[in-house]
Amino acid sequence: MKISTRAWIVILALLFISPIFGVVLADMVGYHEPLDVAAERVGLEDWSEEINWTPFFDYTVPGLPDEIGYIVAGFIGIIVILAIGYIANILVSKRR
Amino acid sequence: MHIPDGYLDPITCAVTYIITILFGIIAYRKSKDKLNPELVSLISVLAAGIFVAQMLNWPIPGGTSLHFVGGALAGILLGPYIGFFIMFLVLFVQCIIFHDGGITTLGANVLNMAIVDVLVGYYLYVLISKFGKGDYRYKLIGAFLGGWMGIALAGLFAGIELGLSPSFGFPLGITVPVMLGWHLLLGVIEGLITAFTVGYLFKKAPYIFEYGK
Repeated sequence: MKISTRAWIVILALLFISPIFGVVLADMVGYHEPLDVAAERVGLEDWSEEINWTPFFDYTVPGLPDEIGYIVAGFIGIIVILAIGYIANILVSKRR
Repeated sequence: MHIPDGYLDPITCAVTYIITILFGIIAYRKSKDKLNPELVSLISVLAAGIFVAQMLNWPIPGGTSLHFVGGALAGILLGPYIGFFIMFLVLFVQCIIFHDGGITTLGANVLNMAIVDVLVGYYLYVLISKFGKGDYRYKLIGAFLGGWMGIALAGLFAGIELGLSPSFGFPLGITVPVMLGWHLLLGVIEGLITAFTVGYLFKKAPYIFEYGK
């Protein structure tokens, strides 16, 4: 099996198990980003939610439960990365 | 480690953006002759892999978590300049599509994870590999220490940026030891994953390492 095929199998497998870590276990331990906790103590505001520009804030997808949304968000991220790579590929091919 | 909007003051944001842009220009100049369709495809696959790996947050009882960052791995595999582009792509997509890390702090996040982590990881790996004269065990040790120290120093830089920002409210004397200490501790896992991945790819796909030379 080619290494790139293996890489994609591993990437997709990790993506499908990612909600276990990113959503389920995070909720169980009451996860909060340590930086946010420190900022809260000094009354600092994270503007992220006030000036949000994306419907996929924090790896969620509107209308989907968090666990499914996390996987779909991962797919969206991969597609955007591959799309940017595809455009870069065209530019590099033209230059050569 | 992704610093959100509002935590850094405008000067720190501007300085980190300038450093990032300057490094990006150098990285492009240094790597443009190497770039070909095959390498660009490899960059995309690695960026996608690191992006998904970063989604695997391992929660730690007490309310924090750790996840693989991958900067050192990107540098070790494809060199510091292409490694920068891999990590920049990951951080850019995280920021723009998922608002993971702020847009005003993107320069700082790129500096920490796409420049410091990548450079430290790469040069430690190269140094220790040379010391071991190409011995496979030394390469693994280099990858482990590169992954570990890369993330620790990235944490140190984040601590300096936060401590220098009056808006964050904690002085350097607190932010630096906390960020460095925490990332030194959790960075052991980053080092182990980096060493495991380098070891696997060294046996299964050694040609990848040619790009990093």
